[in-house]
Amino acid sequence: MAATIAKRRRKLRPGDVIFRLINGLIMISTIVVMIYPFWNTIAISFNDAQDTLRGGITLFPRVFSTYSYETVFKNDLMLTAAVNSVLRTLISTILGVGVSALIAYVLSRKELIGRRFITAYFLVTMYISAGLIPTYFLMKDLHLLNNFLVYIIPGLVSVFNVIVVKSFMQELPDSLTEAAMVDGAGYFRCFWQIVLPCCKPVLATVALWCAVGAWNQWFDTFLYASSKESLTTLQYEMMKLLSSSMQTGRDESSIFGSDQVTNTVTPASIRSAVTIVASVPILVVYPFLQKYFVKGVTLGAVKG
Amino acid sequence: MKNKLKKLAGQKVLYFMIVPCMIYTFIFSYYPLSGWIMAFQKYKPAKGYAGSEFVGFDQFTFLFTDSEFWKAMRNTLAMSLMNLFFGTVLAIIFALLLNELRMQGFKKFTQTASYLPHFLSWIIVTSLVADMLASDGMVNQLLMGLGLTSSPILFLGDAKYFWWVATFANVWKETGWNSIIYIAAIAGIDPTMYEAAELDGAGRFKKMWHVTIPGIKSTIVVLLIMNLGWILNTSFEVPYLLGTGMLQDVSQTIDIFVLKYGMSIGNYSLATAAGIFKSVISLILVFGTNAFANRLGESSLM
Amino acid sequence: MKFKKLSAIMLAISMLASLAACGNGDTSSAGGGTSGGGDASQAQTSDNAVTDGDYGGLVALPDAGDPITYTIFVRDPGTAASDDNPVIQKIEELTGVSFEYEYLVGDLDTKLGTMVAGGDYPDVVFSPEGVPQFVESGAAIPLEDKIPQYGNLNAMYNQVMQYLEKEDGHVYTMPIYGYFFNDMTNEPITFECGYGFYIQKAVLEEAGYPEINTVDEYFDLIEAYMEKHPDIDGVKTSGFEILVDGWRNWALLNPPQALMGVGNEGNITVDQETLETSFHQISDVAHDYYLKLNEEYRKGVITPETLTQTYDQYIAKLTSGSVLGFFDQNWNFATGENVLKTDGKYERTYVSVPLLAEGYEGGYIDKATGIPQADNGIIITNNCENVDRLMTYYDWLLQREVQDYLNWGEEGVDWNYNEDKTDKILTAERRAINLDTARLRDETGYQLYNYAPRWLGIYKEDNMPVDPGYSSAEYLAKQSEYDQEFLAGYDMEYPAELHGGAIERLDYYPVWGMTIEDGSPAAVSQQKMLDAETRYYPRLILAADEAEFESIWTEFVNEFNSLDLASYQEEIDRQIAAKMGS
Repeated sequence: MAATIAKRRRKLRPGDVIFRLINGLIMISTIVVMIYPFWNTIAISFNDAQDTLRGGITLFPRVFSTYSYETVFKNDLMLTAAVNSVLRTLISTILGVGVSALIAYVLSRKELIGRRFITAYFLVTMYISAGLIPTYFLMKDLHLLNNFLVYIIPGLVSVFNVIVVKSFMQELPDSLTEAAMVDGAGYFRCFWQIVLPCCKPVLATVALWCAVGAWNQWFDTFLYASSKESLTTLQYEMMKLLSSSMQTGRDESSIFGSDQVTNTVTPASIRSAVTIVASVPILVVYPFLQKYFVKGVTLGAVKG
Repeated sequence: MKNKLKKLAGQKVLYFMIVPCMIYTFIFSYYPLSGWIMAFQKYKPAKGYAGSEFVGFDQFTFLFTDSEFWKAMRNTLAMSLMNLFFGTVLAIIFALLLNELRMQGFKKFTQTASYLPHFLSWIIVTSLVADMLASDGMVNQLLMGLGLTSSPILFLGDAKYFWWVATFANVWKETGWNSIIYIAAIAGIDPTMYEAAELDGAGRFKKMWHVTIPGIKSTIVVLLIMNLGWILNTSFEVPYLLGTGMLQDVSQTIDIFVLKYGMSIGNYSLATAAGIFKSVISLILVFGTNAFANRLGESSLM
Repeated sequence: MKFKKLSAIMLAISMLASLAACGNGDTSSAGGGTSGGGDASQAQTSDNAVTDGDYGGLVALPDAGDPITYTIFVRDPGTAASDDNPVIQKIEELTGVSFEYEYLVGDLDTKLGTMVAGGDYPDVVFSPEGVPQFVESGAAIPLEDKIPQYGNLNAMYNQVMQYLEKEDGHVYTMPIYGYFFNDMTNEPITFECGYGFYIQKAVLEEAGYPEINTVDEYFDLIEAYMEKHPDIDGVKTSGFEILVDGWRNWALLNPPQALMGVGNEGNITVDQETLETSFHQISDVAHDYYLKLNEEYRKGVITPETLTQTYDQYIAKLTSGSVLGFFDQNWNFATGENVLKTDGKYERTYVSVPLLAEGYEGGYIDKATGIPQADNGIIITNNCENVDRLMTYYDWLLQREVQDYLNWGEEGVDWNYNEDKTDKILTAERRAINLDTARLRDETGYQLYNYAPRWLGIYKEDNMPVDPGYSSAEYLAKQSEYDQEFLAGYDMEYPAELHGGAIERLDYYPVWGMTIEDGSPAAVSQQKMLDAETRYYPRLILAADEAEFESIWTEFVNEFNSLDLASYQEEIDRQIAAKMGS
């Protein structure tokens, strides 16, 4: 990679300097615009809940407090939830990427008989949905209710990911696989040994999507596994906290008279702490995938 | 014929790979469609499919004869198209500019920063947008400071700004995230192509135009076609959270309409009918544009 | 610190338990280890399901040694009490019964739909909106033959059984909300009006505690105060706020009806004498009210952005103390007001004033009708395996001693009598616990009390309040000095006295509590009415001049009248007639 860059390095023209300057400025302002809301959320999460109501929290907490986090972590189910979340994310990412690549590979073979039909067969499912109750019945019939597998099996095939991987595979030069086939390699060996390694950038992308998708999912816990505490997930626990914090004040005040209940957490404070707790782990994963995006360049060089 | 059979036999590995996936898809996507029967019933969870009363096309008639539904349709299309256009263009521009950055550390940092809003919930994003657009908010202070307006603009109270506000919120939240796919696509472009272009004396913008864009064109086309199919499904949260009552005329989307007249009063049949309608339109759009792209000789979904 | 508190409570409980045990002539201590439950059970003679409702207070049930867990779904979002909750532990030990709570996360309709359709529901459900679905599917079990078998449950529901009956003649719910007639308690006193036009206390104080009864007087006071104090603590004074954020839309929609003195009725107004229904939305009162708001907008008392602000922004504005007035429900702005209280800015807190339109009588405080809303209670489902034991448990909970234990804790530690022993008052320590939502949940019996059949109000036998929220002594004890002065300024004991008295409503009240069938024409036209209102009212308020106002008003009235009003009206008329038995 170093060699590639060195080869490309050349004398800077004034136009380049101006472009880089402007580009740098654009990027810096992008960073500011993108980071600010997140930063602001962190500041609010560490600020005293009641004080936050006064408004005006921007970059730093005014009255430092970790109470919102204490509320989040006080939950007895946090550990179970975290383990489930990590497990489901890992398993469904690995399986999801594998299955997507497999289907994509088959669909990318131009010689496949019935290719158009099979592609359409998958494609259609992206735009149709049976609705809530029929899907619920299906899960019930398959005995997936209150079963860890409900986190893995129903979302295994993402047609969107398949199409993305497939179109990447179609861009690969045919010569790549033809040579191998001539050498007597079968379809599967071709897939495993030649096509897959070339697809790293796109697989990294799809893995990121799968991981974020699985990590952020709470609706399936809500619908299919809410009556079994041992199957709870982090996002579901976060949703629970959020919705219960929204509720404070409503029932209590009607029973105890208005000024009896003070909230030490508010929806805003809990929401921000929950956002941070729920998103930081997945953000940490990102740099590990990111290197594959860059590696795509060198892999491409080999290909040429 | 014999030839074909022989070919088929040669492809048995491929079928061995794909058929289980097709069965899986049948079970999880096609089989439950039998539930669409609900759309022709006055479905009650307590009674089930068998016990619920059949009402024919009543649910569809309700949808299609209501002037509000068509207004919602217009709003959905407008906001989705604006989103699709600005979202795609800005994500591509961002990916291109990012690709021009030479300092790897800075590049990585910028990219990571651009994803952050994706992880914020819509409630947080819309409340930040509302703060920014308030009459004493950042935007109005800027406009007044620059002398562009003498009194604060009521961005969230005026129908004519609403679609732009919604687009702005969407673009802000998702541009970085949407650019991932383009960044990956750019990473897949053969560097020798750039070198060849350079030897031909192409400048920075020429390279972008003649190498990068064609290199990611298939990705762009494929994503556009796919997203067109979802055009009736997007735009729920922002209009729902930012659209106050007085903006209903421009903020109510199909999903909000269905929520109001369907789900929130437990009318699953109406929601299902709307779902069928959206599915049909989506499929027409996707297969239509796909055929169109094929005819133009563009890369396409199939 | 927390541990110390906990052990104090544990001590209190074991003392209380042994006291109760002594009273029953049983020498074994029920406190401490798990064996206590077993011992005590022997003291209890073996009468089974049919009881006279007297179990001897905090003494174990016969089958306490045989633990059973019931599951319950609660339609509110919430958090289950900690497993360490000493009160709940104690009750579990004495009864053998424990509960697994499932609180709502996400959308209620989705949850109910899948629960009912899939048959996957818990033993007990508290969800008023879901009752018709559970009944229809046969998931709810009839209780009319069971309730009379249990002394305390019977005392609670026997006077209102006729109102609990569904059309099929069965009773499926045991209401747990709202005071209704029963053998044990009387209606509680209303200390504060929870609904209406609120005004900052400082405004009233500065004007010399005037009585105000009309919208004009209300805005005159606000204008005068605004003129004198353009800023409050450095923040620009805001005259009148109107929150319209999603479902929180009553500040915009409800005032005209409230001004007619009929309370928080609903989307239609009912003549209290003839029972004729009419639409207040297009009445003269509504016209005059929005015209008044329009004038205030043109004077700068109302700013346009109040109509677009989010709930968070609204609360933030309130906490600055710079808002002089608004129309709201108490629980909706309590979080904001609490900040003002913690800051000691009691003069910036609010009080509800009894505004009425000219020529109208009535008021804002509802006298309890004594008739329960049948669906507002728990149902027991056919998934519940041991219904009788559950009913026995609920019956046991309703004993005065148990209820007092859940609500008040222990005398001397958690509460004391007032001087003349006419009322109970919390200790400072216990008050602090009750003020903290999390501690209230994890350290007291509040949660258990809250979702089971429970007494509400004042006990008939000794006039003691059922829970601290009903205690006058407790209410007065926690008033700040400023508030005491404020109340003295008006020469009253409770802020609610500003409103005169509670208004007796008719038996059908309120319209908003009526169930309208999903997807029916009435439900659709109700939604359309709301849509038209939320679309037009802001435009009326923001009209540039009176001529524009009038033309928008005409436009609104025409559109409103073009809706299918009749089907909504007929449905409400039908339900009123049914409930009024005419």
